[in-house]
Amino acid sequence: MLNSIILSYITFVYFFSFFFYLLMMVMHREIFGRAATVITLVGFAGHTFAIVLRWIESYQMGIGRAPLSNLYESLIFFAWTLILLYLIVEWRTKNRSIGAFIAPLAFLAMAYASYSPGISSGIQPLIPALKSNWLIAHVITCFFGYAAFALAFGLSIMFLLKRLDRPEKKNLFLRIIPETWLLDELSYQMVVIGFLFLTLGILTGSVWAHSAWGAYWQWDPKETWSLITWLVYAALLHSRMVRGWKGKKLAALSIIGFFCVLFTYLGVNYLPGLHSYAQS
Amino acid sequence: MVQNGPESRKRPFSLWSAFSSIRLTLFLLILIAITSIFGTLIPQQESAMRVAENLSPTLVRLLDSLNLFDMYHSWWFRLIIGALAVNLIVCSLDRFPSSLKRFRSSPKTDREKPFENLPPERSFALKQAFEPVSDAVGDLLRSKFRKVERKDKEKAAFFFVEKGRFTHFGVYLVHFSVLLILLGGIAGSLFGFQAFVNIPEGEGVDKVTLRKSRVAKPLPFSVRCDKFTVEFYPNGTPKEYRSDLVFLSNGNVVFEGPLRVNHPITFQGITFYQSTYGTLPGNRVRLSLKREGAGGNTVVEAQVNTPFPLPGQEGEATVTAVRSDFMRLGPAVQLAIKPDKGDEVQMWVFKNHRMVEERFPGIFETFPKLNPASFKPYTFFLESMESRYYTGLQVSRDPGVPLVWAGFVSIIIGLFITFFLSHRMIWVQVSRRDKGVNVAFAGMSSKNEVGLEREMDRLMVQVKNKLDKS
Repeated sequence: MLNSIILSYITFVYFFSFFFYLLMMVMHREIFGRAATVITLVGFAGHTFAIVLRWIESYQMGIGRAPLSNLYESLIFFAWTLILLYLIVEWRTKNRSIGAFIAPLAFLAMAYASYSPGISSGIQPLIPALKSNWLIAHVITCFFGYAAFALAFGLSIMFLLKRLDRPEKKNLFLRIIPETWLLDELSYQMVVIGFLFLTLGILTGSVWAHSAWGAYWQWDPKETWSLITWLVYAALLHSRMVRGWKGKKLAALSIIGFFCVLFTYLGVNYLPGLHSYAQS
Repeated sequence: MVQNGPESRKRPFSLWSAFSSIRLTLFLLILIAITSIFGTLIPQQESAMRVAENLSPTLVRLLDSLNLFDMYHSWWFRLIIGALAVNLIVCSLDRFPSSLKRFRSSPKTDREKPFENLPPERSFALKQAFEPVSDAVGDLLRSKFRKVERKDKEKAAFFFVEKGRFTHFGVYLVHFSVLLILLGGIAGSLFGFQAFVNIPEGEGVDKVTLRKSRVAKPLPFSVRCDKFTVEFYPNGTPKEYRSDLVFLSNGNVVFEGPLRVNHPITFQGITFYQSTYGTLPGNRVRLSLKREGAGGNTVVEAQVNTPFPLPGQEGEATVTAVRSDFMRLGPAVQLAIKPDKGDEVQMWVFKNHRMVEERFPGIFETFPKLNPASFKPYTFFLESMESRYYTGLQVSRDPGVPLVWAGFVSIIIGLFITFFLSHRMIWVQVSRRDKGVNVAFAGMSSKNEVGLEREMDRLMVQVKNKLDKS
């Protein structure tokens, strides 16, 4: 189908934007950075177009549903929200070095969706449990949360790298990374956004589970892992807001939190549970 | 205990101070996160039984003694959550007075302190008369803020505006919501129930089976399933499960309607959810009879428990039981044959007769009860049997749900207030100078200083524009 062909090309567009962001950092040339931004914008436009096209194609097939209901579509949507949030951050901070850490994540998500043999890109009709408006609210909120946490993760990695920078080192790559206080602040803001969306995602999922299965919380592995993720980020927020933790400790917590996100999203599929339709 | 921070130093160790510690909060949050992982790796409740069979008895005993096969309902897991709840209450009560103080505080309009060490870009001089400038500033502030306080002194006019005083309570709303959700969960487990029931098409039930104890629970009414339908997409995936339900009270139909996935039906406070379905053997079977010596087979449409005469007038036969999967060998029916002379003969007739014989050669000779030819001179064959659906319903009552829903709404409002809104106070000072006036801006914010600076930037630009025009 056309949409998945376009999306498989977008994978490489994001690879090129990663390449150019990297080139900018290594060569210290602004022109590469601008090229990277343009490539990312083009990729994002094509990405958006393909998602809309997929929606239209599902109607042409007589299925007619939002493209948000299986692993393929969720990975595509995750990459989309990640690039969207990143572009906003780039625009607000006027710093492109973050792109070198975020574009590869979007590339990996797209490549996994498009080229993993286990993931079908076909548009399948919805099984009865998924036929609910809560599905859309649940998926959108969860993935905005995941994308914000992914950005916080990238920023935390940058924070840890930047700490290695010394004035006498003259390392161009590290030089271009923003100051640690800015990374710390940005990463915290991303965690805040992610936490609000994750909370919304868990709550909408819970309301949906109540109408589909008759219980708002059943300790299914995916539910439990989303709670684990929520608790880790809650700990991070408390340690910062009340204890005033900053810097390395917070960056470490944010990295642990993102691994919980990854496990909630992908790892749980290897455990038995109710969310089995998110596997293929 | 906590070393830094003045509040912890002035009190000796006590239960209160232990539970008002944010370190305890962090410890408990991480503890719940880590212990929760076990339950996702070790199968819980019903699925635990199947896995336990493959583990060594010692390991099973160890896991079971730690309640790890149902850990989320174990005493120790509840204890940790209870500790977190106490911690949350104590922390909130401990910090509430200081928030209340900040909420009630009334900063003086003519405060000078905020203007000390004011960066130069936060003030500007104008060669205009004092009165019109101070009035213009007042007007502009009034158009932006609900309440503007003004105080005139000999040398200057002072303005004070603020917003978001209530945001000091945002965090308490979040904590309260968490408690509300936990309370809803407790209310649900104390006063509600979770049950299931399977209803064959055309039949009714007036009791359901509780999930935890497997005890039958009578309903104050009865439910009948008139019809169960399952629709499929062309590719074979299920499209819709639907049970046409009828609710009867004292034998009278009170309500009827279709029950679908994601569209539960609540009747007299008890909610029914479409959960599963299956097939049951029906009441009609099709048998074919071969009588030795006679040419050709006789086909009989038999009704369960209704005798039919044998074609050779030797007596009558009755289908006494039907199984959709008998001894894991597929569909089978039980026949009881009452001959006119001699004793009753009972036998099972498999649908997959040949397959059974191939898998177990000689089985029919060894066990006459399984041999379809054990009543001479007949051999019976099971041609087909009618099947019907049963619908599997989740039945529950949860009086805690409204509390949980209220908690959901308020936690989102609370988080939004806590993260994105702040208590901002802005002072503006318009002071007389030798030639003209000086306008200065100072502010304070409970958090998000960057946002405050931006707001003051905007405000200054607006004041300048207004004064330029006049």
